[in-house]
Order: sequence, then structure tokens, then C-alpha cells
Amino acid sequence: MERPSLHTSLFGATLRRWPRCCLGAILLLLACLPARATVDFQDQVLPVLQENCLPCHDRHTRTSGFSVESLDSILAGGARHGAAVMPGTPEQSPLIKVLRGEIEPRMPLGRAFAEDRIQLIEQWIGGLAATPRTDSPAEPYWAYVKPAAGPPPEIKDPPLIRNGIDSFILKRLQEEGLSPAPSASRRTLIRRLFFDLLGVPPEPAEAEAFADDPSPNAYEALVDRLLADPRYGERWGRHWLDLARYSDTNGYEGDPEYYHTWRYRDYVIDAFNADKPYDLFVKEQLAGDEFFEMMSAGALPPPDPESVVALTFLRLAPFTEPRGEEDRHVLLSEMTSTVGSVFLGLTVGCAQCHDHKYDLLPTRDFYRLKAFFAAVQIDPPRPGDIQQLGGPQPASFVNPTRKERWDRERAALEQRLQTTEKSFALFYEPLLERLKAFRLEAARDRLASPEPEPPTFKDLKKAIRDDQGYRKFSMEEHRRFTDFRHRVLRLKNAVERRKPLAMSLRNADGPPYGPNVSTTYVLERGHWNRKGEPVEPGFPSAIEGHSRPAPIDLDPFGRYPTRGRRLALAKWIASPENPLTARVMVNRLWHWHFGRGIVDTPSDFGKNGAAPTHPRLLDWLAHELVKQNWSLKAMHRLLVTSGAYRQSSLHSDPDAARIDPQNRYLWRFRRKRLEGEAVRDSILTASGRLNGDRGGPPVFPPLPRGLDDAQKVQGTNTWETMSGPRGRKRSVYIFQRRSLSMPLMETFDAPVPNASCARRETSVSVLQALTMYDGEFVNEEARHFAERVRREGGAGPASRIRQAFRTALGRDPRPEETAQARRLLEESPTGDGLTALCRVLLNSNEFVYID
Amino acid sequence: MKKENLIGNTGLPLGPLSRRDFLCRSCNGIGALALAGMLADELPAGTPAPAGLPLPHSGRKAKHCIFMFMAGGVSHVDSFDYKPALQKLAGQKLPPLSGLSGEIQGYLNKPHRVIPSAFEFKRYGQSGRAISSLFPRIGQCADDLAFVYGIEVENNNHGPATMHVTTGSQFQGSASVGSWVTYGLGSPNRNLPGYMVIQDPRGAPVNGAAVWGSGYLPAAYQGTVLRSSGTPILHLDLPGGVDRAQQRREFDLLHFLNSRHLEERPGASELEARISAYELAYRMQASAPEAVDLSEESAHTRRLYGLDNPVTEGFGRQCLLARRMVERGVRYTLLVHGVEINKHSWDDHTNVEGRMRNHAAEVDLPVAGLLQDLKQRGLLEETLVVWASEMGRTPFLNDLESKTPGRDHNQFALVMWMAGGDVKGGATAGATDEFGVKALEEQIPLRDVHATILNLLGLDDMRLTYLHGGRFRRLTDIGGRVLQEIIA
Repeated sequence: MERPSLHTSLFGATLRRWPRCCLGAILLLLACLPARATVDFQDQVLPVLQENCLPCHDRHTRTSGFSVESLDSILAGGARHGAAVMPGTPEQSPLIKVLRGEIEPRMPLGRAFAEDRIQLIEQWIGGLAATPRTDSPAEPYWAYVKPAAGPPPEIKDPPLIRNGIDSFILKRLQEEGLSPAPSASRRTLIRRLFFDLLGVPPEPAEAEAFADDPSPNAYEALVDRLLADPRYGERWGRHWLDLARYSDTNGYEGDPEYYHTWRYRDYVIDAFNADKPYDLFVKEQLAGDEFFEMMSAGALPPPDPESVVALTFLRLAPFTEPRGEEDRHVLLSEMTSTVGSVFLGLTVGCAQCHDHKYDLLPTRDFYRLKAFFAAVQIDPPRPGDIQQLGGPQPASFVNPTRKERWDRERAALEQRLQTTEKSFALFYEPLLERLKAFRLEAARDRLASPEPEPPTFKDLKKAIRDDQGYRKFSMEEHRRFTDFRHRVLRLKNAVERRKPLAMSLRNADGPPYGPNVSTTYVLERGHWNRKGEPVEPGFPSAIEGHSRPAPIDLDPFGRYPTRGRRLALAKWIASPENPLTARVMVNRLWHWHFGRGIVDTPSDFGKNGAAPTHPRLLDWLAHELVKQNWSLKAMHRLLVTSGAYRQSSLHSDPDAARIDPQNRYLWRFRRKRLEGEAVRDSILTASGRLNGDRGGPPVFPPLPRGLDDAQKVQGTNTWETMSGPRGRKRSVYIFQRRSLSMPLMETFDAPVPNASCARRETSVSVLQALTMYDGEFVNEEARHFAERVRREGGAGPASRIRQAFRTALGRDPRPEETAQARRLLEESPTGDGLTALCRVLLNSNEFVYID
Repeated sequence: MKKENLIGNTGLPLGPLSRRDFLCRSCNGIGALALAGMLADELPAGTPAPAGLPLPHSGRKAKHCIFMFMAGGVSHVDSFDYKPALQKLAGQKLPPLSGLSGEIQGYLNKPHRVIPSAFEFKRYGQSGRAISSLFPRIGQCADDLAFVYGIEVENNNHGPATMHVTTGSQFQGSASVGSWVTYGLGSPNRNLPGYMVIQDPRGAPVNGAAVWGSGYLPAAYQGTVLRSSGTPILHLDLPGGVDRAQQRREFDLLHFLNSRHLEERPGASELEARISAYELAYRMQASAPEAVDLSEESAHTRRLYGLDNPVTEGFGRQCLLARRMVERGVRYTLLVHGVEINKHSWDDHTNVEGRMRNHAAEVDLPVAGLLQDLKQRGLLEETLVVWASEMGRTPFLNDLESKTPGRDHNQFALVMWMAGGDVKGGATAGATDEFGVKALEEQIPLRDVHATILNLLGLDDMRLTYLHGGRFRRLTDIGGRVLQEIIA
């Protein structure tokens, strides 16, 4: 019988499911109600709706685009059903249908309103017939329209306004009846600024100096100093790496190493430190290899190595071995989705299988965007690349200091590899002889006539592995053999990482050297072999207003026919004319500085994302970014010198928390929880053991006992534990593995880099407490922290306690804190008191939450 | 809402989230509300519990789940999917089959030979289930088991297929089944994490920790690995030189500092949550070692799980620990048998006969022991047990020479069984064709199986959602069909 194909069944299920699926999203929105006998909307209906529905449907959350904020918003309805209410016809109103469960799921979720309440709402809707809705012509969606230009607003009775940002913030605060918090203290500010810009705390002496600096421009000077500090790039590069789903391994089977992605990590750090204009940064990562303009029929110079490294961005997705067209579709689709959400804040990935449920992104537009990547070629695997990753591209080291360093290290490692392989051979050759003898003996026993082939190294490896009872080889031989093998493997890895290569991609050759660029098709339901209409590369129609093919500058001489597609996309994205690019980036900066974006969903500027709390400010900042030649450092300076940023995180106004409990309007600064990387770097800063060495191949800090064993790949432990200073480099340099994260990072919500991450969680868990209190790392550093305090903190307990507080928390202890700490020093078993105090300080809330 | 401090009675997630945040973040809200609802006893007096949310969504008996994952792709035709037709075709080609695609079709296009199962099948129980001689003890439990045959996985290779079975999507980054379940139901045990993972003591499966990752769900919902040796949960042992009294002294100072800090920052729920986390950690350190202490188990029980035999000891220990987790209210326990790409993986490309003997010998007795033990303690009623792998295998091989033939991957013929809770013992869903190549009629997509697992735990896969990356995520994506045929 005919096999019901995957597609039929998929389709069947899909059709069955669709209505519920879409509705769920919408209906969600339309939750909740009660009412009373006379039906006055303002007095009776609205409060009830708000009481029940506001958590998911206020003007900010707007789940599925629906808000119960006002009559207008209710009439306007959600993203799916449009109007929630049909004036005069309650029975047709989606709101009522949802409340009655006529459309699944019934709202409010999991409950049901009493019949009389629903009837009241019906009554209200029935009464609406007399007041027909005035439909205004549909306005284009704000994010698809260029940011409005214009100066910051005028403020009545302005308090201190430090720059344009404050005008916008204060205006909004005044509208809401709120006032800003007072300025934070100098000690608070330096700590805030250090963590924010560098990701580590200030040394006690730095904090003291700043607190005592009489200069009126001390703060501005500090900002400039920190922006020039190379640790800035390590801090802000890490933010970008979250977006880039940066990893040193590929994921899936064997989770093999990429070897060269660290070049991209260093490229990102360098770009931030050098204040590379953001538009150039974008273009390099999308099409750096296509910059060279073809003006004559001369030879095409090889792409700039830096750009080849930058392109690594496009292929950082988890990547299973390529098995034909399906995997290529998966790879290019991921590329398309990630580019859309990272640079444009458009969740284009949602349109891969069906038209976007909320935004004006038809499926066709997804494939038109995907077509920009149609010429991408992943180079075939090299010999020995058993996971068939392929892809390394030549990319020499540009910086002469680094080139010298990596070349020198590689030469030394190659030397060691040779020596080790020689000693290994000396060790195993006798074992091979023995194996040969065993085999001859076995062959004689079986009376087999032809002599068996002499055993190879591979045979020996297998024989040793199978020799579980140590019958052929001694336990010591087993141990040494494995040890040698691991050493050789690690040396080979170390050499490989230092080769002048990038885990990157290039364009296919195209005719006459290779096949033409394959046509991109709209794929039905996103399925790789259900080809629909062919499409040309094109920009999203909602933004462009049309869906004509994008103009692409192809090589006029036809020799490099595949070049130009990605560059066309890159130029369109990195353009001042693009309504999204600058807005999305300034919002990201705002999110990382203020703990929450002006748009709270930094990678989703669509209708299902959060609406901006300060739309005009967002537009103004977007214009500023372009005006400042896309300089991110100029934007940092603007943001952190604003009065809004310098506010205290405490505010005495008792009304504020009632009016704006979520602090959306910034009536105070938002306290921030350090990320896993910053926690680890801060601990190492406190102990004085942070290794400030920058850049280079990934490092492998010691893992908790028992975990390093779980890092085995194909029986080989690939975690090259570095117990010395190399293992204490900053966290951004830690080998980033997709199949296992470091527990400390994990408990502080470091993302597993499988997909772009715009916003980290800040969860609290028991495992976090266990890791911080019992973990080997924290305890080791607590001991060194205590030693440091003994060295630097004078002799008496009081001065040591003060030094410990200053180092960990950037402040002096209060008398009662000193008294309590002293008690611990005295009651702890001899010699351990100071370590105990240091351990406690590292575990304190104040250490990981920054005001 | 005045008090915003939500203390996970999962013993784990102590979100710094206000309930309002929780509701907003999860939007469809069921999971979070569920959690909030179950936390009612943690909310201060005067805060109403979320109004009558029926959670779980429907009344099901199972409150816990033990998911046993056999890594590598168990040969269905040598275990639970009896295909006598293969015997007649031994060494020959298969007749042409329609509707196949991908790698399987590729294998069939080339010379191949049928490899019948080397094992005899016997019928067990009233249901008369045919089970191979490799699993005689599981056979004894046949009437408690419901089988699903002809499950289709979206990819024919281990990495993606394992992701698909364990997280609902073949791509990395989705939330695992256990994460969804604990997100939806919380966990009643306050001193242990709600989602425990007990790995094969010999190593990790393909994809490593991604198999029990929380993906886009908050990190607090990921599985916690219970170690088979040394300290059961990472970092449970006190630091060197610190005893319980010293820890108390230090925690007292910590509490003092944190309380002062909080006093100056009134209403900061995340700070309060973190203070509680340390107290919970203190309690967990006392209670967790007991949870994994097998010394109090009787000799009879130890034998039941095969702890007296080196072959069965490894998985036996995992199974026994799983029962202890269930007894202590842990919501979801994932057991993994098999190690990535080595002889302990069920990936039997060669010598399927010899290797299957080894794998089966390791699990047959412990699995049956667990089922019996749960039953006699009355726990099977409230525990859903799932046995799965990531794919089936081919009943044929392209290698025409090998004297110890194996089997290749087959994404169309995964077999799984379930027991406990509302599972209808002896029932069957789906069937493969007479050769075990693909489904006889319609393939059962994995999302149907996932929908069924959630349903058996009282959760509606359509309503268990999480807003991420611009859309509502579900374990079953577009929704699955609950396999009513295996539900009592």
C-alpha cells in the first residue's frame, strides 16, 4: 500500500491543528472579565478587565498585541482577530467567544467566568451599537518607519538635566507623576561603572581615589578612562558573543571542536576596543569578503583576513554533519533567522513555515531573505575531519605582535608534538611486537595457513581497549598508552588552533568553475523538498513597500558571478535609511546599561514584542548613533553620563512603586545581577589572581571533580585542564562547549550557545548557592583572597575585616558588621577565620547584585 | 501583589520574578501559574492563590515520570517488534517498498541482504505480546506495558534524533521533556531538585547535557545530574575543613549581612529569594545524601535490581535511585543507558547479535525489578514509566560479507513502551510493516508520543506554552495527537 508520506501526515496534523494553534496565541490576549448591572465601561467593565487581564495584556506586555489598557485598545483588539469587540453584536465578538470557550482556549486560562458576568459584558457590547467606532486609516507599524528626527522635549521646571536623554526620561516621569531618584554616591557609581563597562570591580585604591577626587569632571574622566581600557572590549564583546551564539564546538554527536572560532571572539573584542563603527561591524560579519569593488578586469585580491574571520558569525550555528540538501536548507535558514533577529530585531524565523502570525512578514519574504545567502559555500571536510564540519578558510594573523606570538607558540608545540610522538613510538613498538606474537600464536592454534598481517597502530589501540582483564598488557602499559595518546591528541589540537585559519565560509565558485548559484524556492511548510515558487533576493516588503528583487552589484566582467548578494543585504542593513538597524542597536546598548531595553524584547521589535516605553527617546538615540558615525563608544558615553544612569537605585518616594512597580519609566536605577562571567571574574579580582592576558586560543579552567570526566569525547578527555594562571584568564576566554557548561556559569544563567540570546535570565537557585559556597573554585579563591587580606590589610582583625569588605564590596563595614565578622573570626577553628569571612563575602547578595 | 517572593517548591527555581512577571513571561501562563498555584502555601497569608486554576489540566493518576533512554538506537526487530517474515528472506533482498525517502531509500537502492533476528520471540501474558528472548524479565511485565510502534523521528542520525526524542525538536536549544513537565507541574519535594538525571556511570550520551537542558525555558528547569559515585549532587559536600557547625556560623553571618542589605532595599524580591536559596541549600545538604544512600535497601531489593551482579549493577543502581527519587516526590527522573559512540552504545552497526546480548543483559533485570518494585509499593499507579531510544534499526544490511552483521539507522521504526499511571497495560498504538522498515499505515510522529506523555501527567500539550523568540513554544510545536489507544 501507498505509504502515507511524512508530508501528508504532517500536513494533516497541521491542518487539524492550525485553528487552535493560531487562536491560542490570540485568545490568550482576550482574557478575563466580570461586570455589574449597569454597564458603564469606565467604571465597571474596564476595572474588571484590568484586574484580570493586565498581567499579560497591559500596554507593555501586549501579549499577542492585545491590551486592555483603554477602550481604544480593546476595540482595536489583538494581532490575530483584530477587533475583540463587535459593537452591538456580542455573539460575534471574539472577546465573548473566548470567554464562553467557543474559541479554544477559554479565557481566562484555566478558569471560567460566571455566566452572569459574561452576560454583563455582552450587555455592554450590545449597548455599543449606538457609538460606532471611527476607524482611522491604518498607520504603518512604527518600527518599519524611519525614526522621527527632532530635539529632546522641553521640560517644565527641569531638575538637573545632564544630556538629551534626561529630557525624555523626565518628561515621561512628570507625565506619570513621578520624580527621579537622587544621584547615587561616588562609591556606588564607580562600582556600577566598573561592572558595566569592564565587568570587574574597581580595586579598593581606585575606588578610594575616585571617592576623594575633588574635580567636578571626575566622573566624566572616569568614563573616558574606562572606555579606553581594553577590558571594555572583553566585557562588551561578551554581550555580542551571546547574540552571535558563539561556541568553540559544533554540538550534536561528539560535539567536535571548531578549533578556530576563537579568532572571531578576538575579532569582536578588538572591534569593541577599537570602536569600529557599527555599520562597518555589521557589514564585515555579513559580507566582509565582498568589499573589494570590481573596477577592472584585474585579478580579485584575496579577501582581507579580518573579514574572513568576521564571517564566522554566519556559521556559528550548531551544525550536524552535512548530509545533503536538507542540511543546507537548515543551515541557511538558521543564518537567515539569526541575521534577522540580531541586526533587525525581526523574528523572520517565524515566517519559515507560514506567514508570520503577528508581523507583516510573509513566508515569501523569509525565502527572499534566505536567497541572499544562496551562494554560500561551506568548504568540504579536510582529511581527518571525521565529523565532516569543513569550512576553515585561510586567514592570516594581521596584528604583527600576535602573529609572532601564535607562530612562535605553534612552532614550539609542533616541536613538542614531534618529540612526544617519537617517545610514544619508542614505547609502543615493543607492544606492537608483542601483539604480533599473540596473533601468530593464535593463528598457529587455529592452524590458519597464511600468516596474519602485521598489526597496525590502530590494531594495537583496539587490542589494548579490549584487553579489559590486563591479560596481554599490564595495567601500567594501559595507563601509559592512554596517557601518551591523550598527550599527542592535545598537542595536535593545540597546534591546530594556532593555524592561520578561520572557521568561516566563502562563496561558491559559480560558472564556469562550478555550478550556478542554486535557485531559492519558497518551501511549503518549511519543508526542504516541497518546493514552491522560486524567489530572488529581496528585502522585507513591509519595510520596502514592495517585493521587487533587490539590486545586486554583480561582477560586471562575469568572472566572479557569485559575489555581491550578501553585500547588497549588508549595505541595506547597515544604512542610515534602515528604520530598524540603529534603533535595534541603541536599544541593545540601553538594555545592557539599564538592565532593560526601551523595547524590552531586544531581538523582537515586532508586534508581539514589547512596545517601547520611550519611543521618542529611542528614535532620538538612533539618530545620535548615525550622527556619531555609528560610534558605540560615543553612545556609551552619552548613556552613562546621563542623569538617568547616575540615579540611585533607591528612592524614598512611597508612591513611585505603586504607580510604576516595574520601574519602567526609570524613576530609579535598576539593580543588576552579575552574569556568570562577571561573578567569576570578580571572584578572581578579589583574590588578586585574575590573569589579565588577552586573546588567543580558549582556556580550560579546572572543572569540579567528576565533571571533567563527563567531557570525554570518544573515550578521550578533551578538557585540557589548566590549573595554573592560564586557567585564570577572564571568563570570555573559557572554552565554550555546547554539550556541557561550567556549573558556575550555568547556575548564573550563562546561555548554552545554541541560538542567539538577547537577554539573560537572572534566576536564583539552590544549585547556585551550593556552587558558590561549596565549589572548589570559590573556596580556592577565598583562601587566596584571605591571604591577600593578610598581606594588604594590616595586622589587627578590624583592619583586616575592613580590607576584606573594601576588596569584595567596595565599602567599609559598619560597626555592627565588623562586630559580627569578628565573632566569626574568633569562633572559627584556628587559622580558618579569615578564609571563612572571605567565603561569606563572596557569597553575599551585595557581591553579586550591583546598585 | 505585595509579597513578590516566590519560592519554588521544586526546591529549585527561586525566580526573582514577581508573580506578575511570571504570568507575563510565560503568557499562556499555564506552567507558571501552575507553579504559582502549587506555591500557595509559600505565599504569605492574605495573598489569594491563583483563582482555581485546574492544574494539572486534567485528572491523571501519574504524578511522577521515569524516562529511560537507551542511547544509540535500539534494534526494534531484536527486542520488541517481532518480524517473523524476515526469517524467510534471510540473506535476500527486500521486495520494493513504496513511500520511503532519505537514507533508508538510499540503503535499499544498493545491494543489501535481510538480516533476521538471531533471537527467538516468545509471547507473554494475557496480552500475548511477542518479546525477544533478550528481555525475558521485561516480558514477565508485558501486561503492564503499552507499546507504540512505527514512531518516526525527523532525522536519521544520532545527534538530531536524540534531540528530537528528548526535547521535541531535532535542533539544539529546545527544552527537554523533563523541563516542560517541571515547568508545568512544579515539584513537591522542597529539598531536592524536581528534575533529576541519572547518567550511565560509563559516560555521557550524544549531545551531552543538551539532552536534559532547559533550552529557552529558565535555567532552573534543567535536569540536575545525580552522580553515581562521590557526592550525589555537585557541590553538596562542605568545603574542606568546614563542618556543619562552622557552616552554620558562616551562614549566620551571611544571613546577617544579607538581611541588612535587604533592609536598605525594601521589596527586592530577588534578594529575598537568594536568602532563602541558602537556607534551602543548607537543608538539601542534609537530606540529599540520605536520598541516594542505598545501604538501607534490603538484600532482597538489591537482588531485585541486580546490584549483586556486575553486569546489571550499573543500570540497577540507576533504577533503584529512580525509585527513591519517586518516593521523595521528585517529579521527573531521566535515566540514560549507553554512552556516546562506543561499545556501550546501542548503536550496533556490527555484530548486532553479540552486542544486543550485552546491552539487554544490562537492562532487562533492573527494568523489570523497578517495575515490580514500584508495583508492590503502590507507586506504579502514580508513576509513568517510559522506555525509549532515539531510532530503530534496519532489518537489512548493505554489507554482504560480514559474518557478524549489524544494522543501520532507521528513523521510521522507533519503538517505545510506557507503563504506570493511566497507561492501559497490554495496549498497542501503531504498527510497522511485515519487515519492520516503516509504519504499516501512518507513521506516528514523535509529537504524538510527547503529547501522550504530557497527557498522562495531566498536562495539555497545546496549553503548556512559553513565549520565546516571538512565538509560543510547545514541546509538540504544532500540537500532537494523544494516543488514546494506550490510555486506560
